[in-house]
Amino acid sequence: MSRRRGARVLTNLGGVVALVFFAFPVYWMFATAFKPTNDILSYTPHWLPVPFTLEHFSAAVHRPNFGYYLRNSLLVTLSAVLASLLFAVLAALAVGRFDFRGRKAYMLMVLIVQTAPFEALLIPFFIMLRGLNLLNQLPALILIYFIFTMPFTIWTLRGFVMAIPRELEEAAMVDGASRPQAFMRVVFPLLAPGMVATSIFAFVTAWNEFLYAFVMMRDATRYTLPIWLSTFQTVFGTDWGGTMAASSPFTLPVVVFFLIVQRRLVSGLTAGAVKG
Amino acid sequence: MSIGNEDLLAGARGAPATGPREVASDAASTAAAGPGRRARVVPYLLILPSVVAFVALLGYPLYQVVRISLLKLDLAELIQRTTVFVGLANYRAIFTDPFFWSVTVRTVVFTASCVALTMVLATLLALLLERLGGAMRLALSIALVLAWATPPLTATVVWQWLFDTQFGVVNWVLGAAGFGDFSNHSWFDTGLSTFAIIALIIVWQAIPFVALTLYAGLTAIPRELYEAIRVDGAGAWQTFRSLILPVLRPLFLITTFLSIIWDFKVFTQVFLVRHGGPDRQTITLSLYAYQEGIASSHFGRAAAISMVMVVMLVLALTFYIRYMLRTQEDL
Repeated sequence: MSRRRGARVLTNLGGVVALVFFAFPVYWMFATAFKPTNDILSYTPHWLPVPFTLEHFSAAVHRPNFGYYLRNSLLVTLSAVLASLLFAVLAALAVGRFDFRGRKAYMLMVLIVQTAPFEALLIPFFIMLRGLNLLNQLPALILIYFIFTMPFTIWTLRGFVMAIPRELEEAAMVDGASRPQAFMRVVFPLLAPGMVATSIFAFVTAWNEFLYAFVMMRDATRYTLPIWLSTFQTVFGTDWGGTMAASSPFTLPVVVFFLIVQRRLVSGLTAGAVKG
Repeated sequence: MSIGNEDLLAGARGAPATGPREVASDAASTAAAGPGRRARVVPYLLILPSVVAFVALLGYPLYQVVRISLLKLDLAELIQRTTVFVGLANYRAIFTDPFFWSVTVRTVVFTASCVALTMVLATLLALLLERLGGAMRLALSIALVLAWATPPLTATVVWQWLFDTQFGVVNWVLGAAGFGDFSNHSWFDTGLSTFAIIALIIVWQAIPFVALTLYAGLTAIPRELYEAIRVDGAGAWQTFRSLILPVLRPLFLITTFLSIIWDFKVFTQVFLVRHGGPDRQTITLSLYAYQEGIASSHFGRAAAISMVMVVMLVLALTFYIRYMLRTQEDL
C-alpha cells in the first residue's frame, strides 16, 4: 500500500517538473513583458509582474514601421491561407469523393511534398524570384507560403471530406440537386469546421515563417512581424522587456488558436499513417 | 468529425467506415454527373490547380537547384545574366573542403541527438500522462500545447532570455540550488554549450507533438491486455517491451521519421541564437547553404550544399514513404 502511494507521489512529482519545464518559459515571456525595467534587470528574479507596466508594449508598438509589419504579416498570411484553402478543397474533393486513375500517385506526391525541405530550396527560389522581379515584393511571400501550406491542407481536408457520409450527398441528389448544389448545401457546411481547423494550422505556419521573409524582403516597409522581432536583439542589445513585449502579442493568437484546434490536429499529421 | 484518439492506433480497427474507392454508380449520381465521360474528367479538373502549383513552385525550383549546382553563379554572373556551366566543380570544391565535412558531421550528430532526446523524453511523458490524475493530466497537456504552439522565433528569444548571462533565471536557479556559482556564466562561449541550448529549444518544442501522439496511442490499448500481461507476472519494463512497444511501433516509427526530417533542416533556431557562432562552430548545413549563397553570393556552391541536404533528406524520406505505402491502404 505504501509502496503504491510512493509511486503516486513520484508520478505527480514528475508531472510537476514537466509542467514547469513546458509552461514556465511561456509564462516568463508574458511576465517579463509586464515588468518595469528595474525588475527585469535584477540579479534575483522577480517571479510576479508586480508592479505592473505597459511601457514595453507602447515602446515596441511605437518603433518605426510597426504598422507596416503588422499589415504585411496579415496580408501575406491571409492571402496565402485563402489561396491554399481554395486549391486544397478542390483537391480534397477529388481524392475524397472520386476514384480515378492516378489518384494514388497524386496522394503520394502530396505526402512527399508535405515533407519538402524548403530550407534547401532557398537558393533556387531566390534566383527564380529575382528573375521575375519579385524580390522584395510581398506577392513573393504569398506564393511561397501558399505552396508551404497547401500539401498539409490537402492531406488533412481529405480526411475531413472522407468523414462526411456519402449518403448525405446522394440523398440530396435523389431529391433533385445537382452535384455542385449537393456540395454547396450538404458537404460544404459539414466541411466548414475542418476547413477552419486546417486554415488555422496553415495560418500559424505562414505567420511564424522567418527564413524566406528574412531573405526575400529587403526594405523595412516590406518586413513581416518575425523580422521585426528578430531585429530587437541587435538594435536594443539587452532590452529584454521590449523583446518580450513584442513577442507576447505575436505569440498570443497562435497559442490561442492552437489550444482550440490541437485535438483535431494531433492526429492530422499521423492519421493517414496509422489507419488500416 | 474530430478524429478521436481511438482512430490513431494502427490495426486497432479495420478499414475506415467511408471508403472512397467504390465509384458511385447508382441512379442518383449518374443523373447528376451527366454523361459518363464528363464525370470522369471532373476529378482531374479538381486536382489540376494544385498539380500546376506543385510543378511550378516545387518541381521547377527542384530542377533549378540541380541546374544551379552545376553553374558558376556568383554576383557577376547573376547581374550580367550569364550562364557558365562548370560541371561538377562546385561539388568538387565542397567535397575537398574540410569545413564542409565538419559541418555535415555536426549536422548529422546534432539531428541524431535532438531526435533521440525527443523520442525518449516524449515516450516518458506519454507514459506519465497516462498515469496522472485528471486535473494534473489536463494541466500538463495544456502546458505541452503551449510549448508546441509557441512560434519557434519566440521560443528562441525566450530561451535566450532564460539563459542570459547576467539576469537569466537559469543561472540564478543553478546558483540557488547549490550547483556552484553561475552568476555571469555565459552559455554561448563555446560551440558545444551553444549547441546544447539550441538543442534544448528544439527539443522543448518537438516533444509535445510526439508525446501527445504517443499518449493518444497508449489510451487506445485495451485495459484487458494490461491485465493479462500483469497476470503473467510482467513488471513495468516487461510490459513496455512486450506490449506497449509492439503496439505503438507504427507511431514510434512515424514520429521518428518526421523528427529526423524536421530537425535535420532546421534553420530559424540555429541561426537566431548566435548566427552560427561562436567562431562558426554552430553552423549546420542549412545555415551553411544560406551563408555561402545569400550572404556571400556563391549561389552555385550553395546549391551544391543544398543538393547534399536534399539527397540526405530523400534517404530519410524513402523509409518514411515506403512505410506509409505499406501501412496505408486508402492512400
